[in-house]
Amino acid sequence: MKTQALTCLAWLPIAAALLHAAPPDFTGVWGIYRGGPGADPQFRAPAPSPLVLKPEYDKPYQARRTEEAAAAKRGEQLANTSAECIPYGVPTMMSVAIYPVEFIQTAKQITIIAEAFSEVRRVYLDRPQAKLEDVAPGYYGRSVGRWEGDTLVVDTIGIKPTVTLRGIPHSASMRVTERIRLVAPDILHDQITIDDPAVLEKPYTYTVAYKRMPADYEMVEFVCDNNREYIDSNGIVRLKLHDK
Amino acid sequence: MILHAIRPKLCAALAAAGMFALAFPALAHHSFTMFDMSKRITLVGTVTSFEWTNPHSYIEIDAPDEKGAVKHWSIELGSPSILMQSGWKFSSLHAGDKVTLIINPMKSGQNGGFLSQATLPDGKVLTNGPRQEPPPPPAQK
Repeated sequence: MKTQALTCLAWLPIAAALLHAAPPDFTGVWGIYRGGPGADPQFRAPAPSPLVLKPEYDKPYQARRTEEAAAAKRGEQLANTSAECIPYGVPTMMSVAIYPVEFIQTAKQITIIAEAFSEVRRVYLDRPQAKLEDVAPGYYGRSVGRWEGDTLVVDTIGIKPTVTLRGIPHSASMRVTERIRLVAPDILHDQITIDDPAVLEKPYTYTVAYKRMPADYEMVEFVCDNNREYIDSNGIVRLKLHDK
Repeated sequence: MILHAIRPKLCAALAAAGMFALAFPALAHHSFTMFDMSKRITLVGTVTSFEWTNPHSYIEIDAPDEKGAVKHWSIELGSPSILMQSGWKFSSLHAGDKVTLIINPMKSGQNGGFLSQATLPDGKVLTNGPRQEPPPPPAQK
């Protein structure tokens, strides 16, 4: 009898595993969760890792940041791609201001739609990653995913070097690895690691925290058809005013 | 699929409570350096158009200056998505509406600005959502 009871107990972890066998469903609209007043600090995104660029990339990056700061002091913003309404791409699109992202999950594919700029990425769950030389460099590259328990691990390659996270340089062989999981029923974390040995001394990791939006939230369209910002001949962002 | 009997510990991924609120900086369409966020001007005037557009919405308004001369102003707002989260609708304003706008003016002195607060014809007061984005983190050696 005692032995039987022990045998039963031994099965408990397996039974628990079976209960958790189905991957979690991320389907829904997720707003950026930044904490703030009234927020639960334990669900905030952890701090990013240090960004350590190789010296030859660090120097121009720092110089550009110094220029940006000097321009800001003058009340000016230096040109950047988003001021021209060029999409953000991977990984930036996962957290743009307070714009939500929508996950649509099926067994074979997870589609992620960002409200800002209506950006779309597709994560294939039923096929292997391609060779880098077979992926046309672009804004979203090619993403494949797999489940590790309740964590979705997404591998992305093929992001072209002009598509940057806040101007951080990268090579064509940058690899982005995301570990996406629910840390609470309505809180999703996307831990994003940028691995690029040609440019970075060590991988750079940051996390985006999301909170589920109300169930009746409907994604808002975003077509950039009234961009009044333009870049002048000195590379400064200006605003067109409608004078009479 | 690998079955995991034990779900990963929540605490492993959870941040320390004392961390700064913005672990990752917000990115927006553009920064607000062109506007003087320390200054506020009140415009009382007539809407000539309300543009519910991306990447930003605009209120075009005719408002008299302190000498009574009518001047035209272009006032920038957030995008429709951001504005909807602050209670705006595409039909919140129409040409001909009398409104009171509190704005942060352009540093250049041109007749333009960034909306801080609007009082609609029905007396409803609406704000303009979040505005200032923090700078990117410095690279570390």
